[in-house]
Amino acid sequence: MTKKNQMKKLILLAAGALFIQLAQAQTIDRSKEPAPGPAPVLSIKDPVIYKLPNGITLLVVEDHRLPKVTANYMIDAGSVTEGDKAGVLSLMGGMLNEGTKAKAKSDFDEAVDKIGANVNLNWSGGYASALTRYFTTAFKLMGEALKEPAFTQESFDKLKSQELTGLKSQAKNAKAISARVTNALAYGKNHPDGEFETEESIQKLTLQDVKDAYAKYVGPSRGYLTITGDIKPAEAKVLVTEVFGSWTGPKVSLEKVADSPNPAKTEIDLVDVPNAVQSEINVVNLVNLRMSDPDYFPVLIANYILGGGAQARLFMNLREKHSFTYGAYSSLGAGRLQSMFDASASVRNAKTDSAVTEFLAEVNRIRTEKVTDEELTNAKALYAGSFARGLEDPARTATFASNILINNLPADFYKTYLQKVNAVTADDVMRVAKKYMDYDHLRVIIVGSQGQILPGLQKTGLPINFFDKYAAPVTAPAAGK
Amino acid sequence: MQIVKNVLFALTAAAFMSFSAKAQKVEFTEYDLPNGLHVILHADHHAPVVAVSVMYHVGSKNEEPGRTGFAHFFEHLLFEGSDNIKRGQFMKIVSANGGSNNANTTQDRTFYYEVFPSNYLETGLWLESERMMHPVINDIGVKIQDEVVKEEKRQSFDNRPYGNFINTVAKDLFTTHPYHNGVIGEMKDIDAAKLEEFKAFFKQYYVPNNAVLTIAGDIDPVKTKALIAGYFGPIPGGPPVVYHKVDEPPMTKAIVDTFYDANTQIPLVAVAYRIPGRNSRDARVMQMISNLLSSGGSSRLYKKMVDDKKEALQVLAFNYTLEDYGMYIIGALPNNSTNEVLLKDIDDEVVKLQTDLISQEDYQKLENQMENNYVNANSRQLGIAENLANGYTFYHKDTNELNEELAVYKSITREEIRDAAKKYLDANKRLTLYYLPGKAKAK
Repeated sequence: MTKKNQMKKLILLAAGALFIQLAQAQTIDRSKEPAPGPAPVLSIKDPVIYKLPNGITLLVVEDHRLPKVTANYMIDAGSVTEGDKAGVLSLMGGMLNEGTKAKAKSDFDEAVDKIGANVNLNWSGGYASALTRYFTTAFKLMGEALKEPAFTQESFDKLKSQELTGLKSQAKNAKAISARVTNALAYGKNHPDGEFETEESIQKLTLQDVKDAYAKYVGPSRGYLTITGDIKPAEAKVLVTEVFGSWTGPKVSLEKVADSPNPAKTEIDLVDVPNAVQSEINVVNLVNLRMSDPDYFPVLIANYILGGGAQARLFMNLREKHSFTYGAYSSLGAGRLQSMFDASASVRNAKTDSAVTEFLAEVNRIRTEKVTDEELTNAKALYAGSFARGLEDPARTATFASNILINNLPADFYKTYLQKVNAVTADDVMRVAKKYMDYDHLRVIIVGSQGQILPGLQKTGLPINFFDKYAAPVTAPAAGK
Repeated sequence: MQIVKNVLFALTAAAFMSFSAKAQKVEFTEYDLPNGLHVILHADHHAPVVAVSVMYHVGSKNEEPGRTGFAHFFEHLLFEGSDNIKRGQFMKIVSANGGSNNANTTQDRTFYYEVFPSNYLETGLWLESERMMHPVINDIGVKIQDEVVKEEKRQSFDNRPYGNFINTVAKDLFTTHPYHNGVIGEMKDIDAAKLEEFKAFFKQYYVPNNAVLTIAGDIDPVKTKALIAGYFGPIPGGPPVVYHKVDEPPMTKAIVDTFYDANTQIPLVAVAYRIPGRNSRDARVMQMISNLLSSGGSSRLYKKMVDDKKEALQVLAFNYTLEDYGMYIIGALPNNSTNEVLLKDIDDEVVKLQTDLISQEDYQKLENQMENNYVNANSRQLGIAENLANGYTFYHKDTNELNEELAVYKSITREEIRDAAKKYLDANKRLTLYYLPGKAKAK
């Protein structure tokens, strides 16, 4: 069924390390789980990679099953501090969709829609997707939008006004508030991952700010262009050279960002949203973890066992055992800068404090007790399976290749991925849980209806700090309220 | 585990299920087991992945009065285990074997699936056959899932901006048809239900003769058939499921309603019309009208209201298409403007559609958009499985429907587009809904 013997482009992935032959079908025993068939052999075909003289890295994945081609351009600018211009990058990205020097927005949109294509730009790149016969046209439109944006005052005023209305529309949304406040408190408001736009910051922005941001970031420098689909690599290269070959722009370099501290002692940070019928809970700390770090694979497994899905401990505890929530999950990031451990759920008001207690108990447990063999085996099997399932997407191998380049990973990172997952031990899991899930220095950030949830939270004994919707400290409510 | 949410801005996803072009025919085989289970197999060896799915032809429209939310609640119950699968094990077995799974419920059907590495095909068949054959339906499961569903309702509807929009439209457009109730239903109905009622619901609707088993992916059809016979063959068939469509009396006048949502700060104003169900040519004509009105920057409402007049933050036009009827919804969010201005501009564009034929250029654009959407529709095995099952379930057992739909779109004329706009977008037979920020009034 699967392709065999493609030599070095193949790796054998023993999903769950089980090779038992398929039982004869008719005589089934439904009292127990069936044995799997032989593990399929996965082939990871490398994309064809070209490097353009101006800095663009082109990755092409040829796949002729469907008559379509997709292009994705990404400028690896990393995390960018906007400071008092918060919101300018997203506005600049929006402006790239507002027509070009040669085409008014209405003409540009008509040109895209006429061929049934999708072309979208953002501040760090863009996307074009079209039927094969229209791809060249769509790709050239994307190129034109990136290289020669119109940047008219009329468009700027329109987008600014939409942005302000959009901000207003989110003002009472507990989820949106929670996302903003969680990052702001964890990273700090002056950190690129913690800062956020406000009505004030948007009001102050000018068209010149947008032009300045464009001049600073948009160009071929640190650019990765992935083309996937019904196209030959050589053809793609010719097209890309025609559209982007002579493009010049700023030299983009990664910002140096100082690490932000976790709290000295685990604390609750509470934001009052009186209309909320559920509390948004995020239990977080910052971590320093690179994808190239040997801890990376144990961390994947540890997080998976704690909160990686509907079978993980948080879900089984907070939903299936206590029914506090529709779902509870955790994530633990890795990257060039600090990233976040985040265990979260939306919980009904009355159970907010009980949920906090369970969250903390689960974080503590994975740090202090070894995970069972069964949990470990299952976690590894899930990684093997999701790796295999992911290959359904032809663009996946291009993502692998660009991840390797961007994160400075060994060339065989993904080809040996499952071997490294398989090598993780229960001791590794406990060790990295202790290191990266910082039980004694957590922020328990809760966005909810303070009047209803505060008395319960006070019983947890954790210190409670109060913040407004923009992460500014506010004084504690008077006792008895 | 979730209700299929037609989230407000997911308009483009609304009805682009399946289009066809000769080059990309989705091949399949299909047959019935003696117990009435319909089986569809699609083999594709590109990636070592298999999707195992069962679509039961039961949704919220099958619910008894006073028992709203039953169908969706039942979807939750059927993860509680079976005679051979202990409580809490179902999802564990899926993930421990590298799979993913979920389920969702609409007004018309309930869809369960697993996606596995292809060597775990048999595990998927075992899980789905256990669910169909002898699930455990007991008080513990009911109690736990009752709370979980209440949290789902809070999260997906009551705490989410515009979360109650679709339910409000449905309530107003349908007075007698069960589409009136929406899928999540009233929590008090579930609270009031007795265990026996859940068991009876299972007996009535979860019979093999009311289900379609679709397997798509890296499979050997001969071996797969033998396995299916082994796992699903012993499940007894049941009496045919009889569904009597409730005829909703035609709307005779314009309705105006207001709903207050404390989670929002920007109003959403919309007009909504009742139109024929998904298995009708006109439902497709209306889909094309959605594209004309709001798909892409050059679409009529978007260009006029967002770009030119700058009075709207967003516009939407979509066909919430269902088996018995559809809800055709056009709306906008104001940006420094008033609801009345938006309504007038929407009406003006509708009148244009009713009066003038669209240009040849616009028609060509629509065809390209439809073809592009089609190419993207059948790229994953799970999507193919669901589209095949939809064809059998909703298009007179025409599993091949996904291969025929693009030809239907191509055959729709400009005159039909104008005539459908005239026939269905009648300003005297519609709902105007003001979905406003603020506290809901006490009821």
